[in-house]
Amino acid sequence: MNDPYSVLGVSPGATEEEIKKAYRELVRKYHPDNYHNNPLADLAQEKMKEINEAYDQVTKSRSGGGQSGSYNAGGGYAGPTGATGGSAEFTQVRAAINSGNLALAEQLLNASQSRNAEWHFLMGSLCYRKGWLDDARRYFQTAADMEPGNQEYLQALSFISRGGQPYNPYGYNYNAGTGGCSACDVCTAMLCVDACCQC
Amino acid sequence: MFGYVRPLKDELKVREYDQFKACYCALCHTLKSRYGAFSRNILNFDFTFLTMLLWDGTDRPAYQCARCVASPLRKKTYCAPSPALDLCAGYSVILAWWKLRDSVKDETFFVSLGDRLLSLLLRRAYKKASRAYPAFDETVRSNLEALGRLESAGDASLDACADKFAAITEALAAPPGGEAGSADKARPLRQLLYHTGRYIYITDACDDLEDDLKKRRFNPVANRFGLTSGVVPEEDRTVLRTTLMHSCALIGAAYELLPKNYWAPVLSNIIYLGMPETCFRVLDGTWRKGKGAANKGMDRTI
Repeated sequence: MNDPYSVLGVSPGATEEEIKKAYRELVRKYHPDNYHNNPLADLAQEKMKEINEAYDQVTKSRSGGGQSGSYNAGGGYAGPTGATGGSAEFTQVRAAINSGNLALAEQLLNASQSRNAEWHFLMGSLCYRKGWLDDARRYFQTAADMEPGNQEYLQALSFISRGGQPYNPYGYNYNAGTGGCSACDVCTAMLCVDACCQC
Repeated sequence: MFGYVRPLKDELKVREYDQFKACYCALCHTLKSRYGAFSRNILNFDFTFLTMLLWDGTDRPAYQCARCVASPLRKKTYCAPSPALDLCAGYSVILAWWKLRDSVKDETFFVSLGDRLLSLLLRRAYKKASRAYPAFDETVRSNLEALGRLESAGDASLDACADKFAAITEALAAPPGGEAGSADKARPLRQLLYHTGRYIYITDACDDLEDDLKKRRFNPVANRFGLTSGVVPEEDRTVLRTTLMHSCALIGAAYELLPKNYWAPVLSNIIYLGMPETCFRVLDGTWRKGKGAANKGMDRTI
């Protein structure tokens, strides 16, 4: 394993406060929320694991084997294309999108007879994975219009209407013209605080 | 290419700005020494970004000093030759050539006279670059051709068009000769460059909107929102801004998974500040006219 201090980006002489700060910044950077339904989510997860292990190792060695306070990444995270909900007709499509087999998902969706809300939602998910963000938004919009009560569709639409979950080392809302701190920003901030909170 | 991918100078340290300029100058020197003096004209910020992105290692590069055409009196500092510089010089020649051929094909004989002349002057450079990087050459050719077909059919979505251009920039991630790089590095790099291409294509379409409508040329943004004048309604502008910022967010997420190299501070400035800034300024119309330049950088809050 790599030197835990270099993983955290601090020197071995760093104070506990400095280490904690560096760790929190890294958690903010590689948080699963930033890689929501992202094809690179697995790499971010690995990175998170490496950081947690390094932090545990450092805190343990300093406190002489005491408790560690790393963030637990395995909190049952699932993208909007998770296996929950959805009809049997599209189980295979959902599995294909989740496993990254986009060609198969596209083929199945094109071959399908129905053009219901779920079909539009899954087309949106497929587009999102391909990086076709504007098309994804339009499909999610149609799905939400066809079935207004569906939480899964609403969540996807709200996620894409915010422009993803931007992490910015220069702080939120840097660019003039983004408007003020919206309810979503507050939410995101709370999520991050929650993730870093050690209780 | 287009010059949309650049740092927000106000937020760079003076040292970082000097380093960025040294890389820009180095790319220019590489173009001249490898592809002849004329090829210097295709120098741009986008390929400077690519050079820094593909740079290997965290060590300080060797810097050199020389006079040049653009600065005949004062010597300028530039980075010593490196593999990333060679690669990016070659790639930029190939892309510039095919962009020229593309506009020659689209326009009438007299309108395209200028581009015909330019492509004639770039021909030798292109021949050399395409011999060195045949795979990239073929990717550019086939994708621009497919893009041309989509654009003349006129019914493809904004993303379907952007995808063809993004496929070209994505191909920049592949090491020449096809040797397999480390998969962990290749995937984030591909995603980063895919969304950079998408960002460039859509930003360029927004920037060209008025011109294209005036000259009755196809414009994917006008097509997407059914626009007939250069003024984009606020509602549509929000959609464009959100989708472009989403690409920026995905570029950032991919960038954080790459090993940091010497240029990390400049790259991070470009990705998190420069690209969003360009997007905002193109959409509010201050990019071209330089309107609002007086206030530029004066009202930032961090």
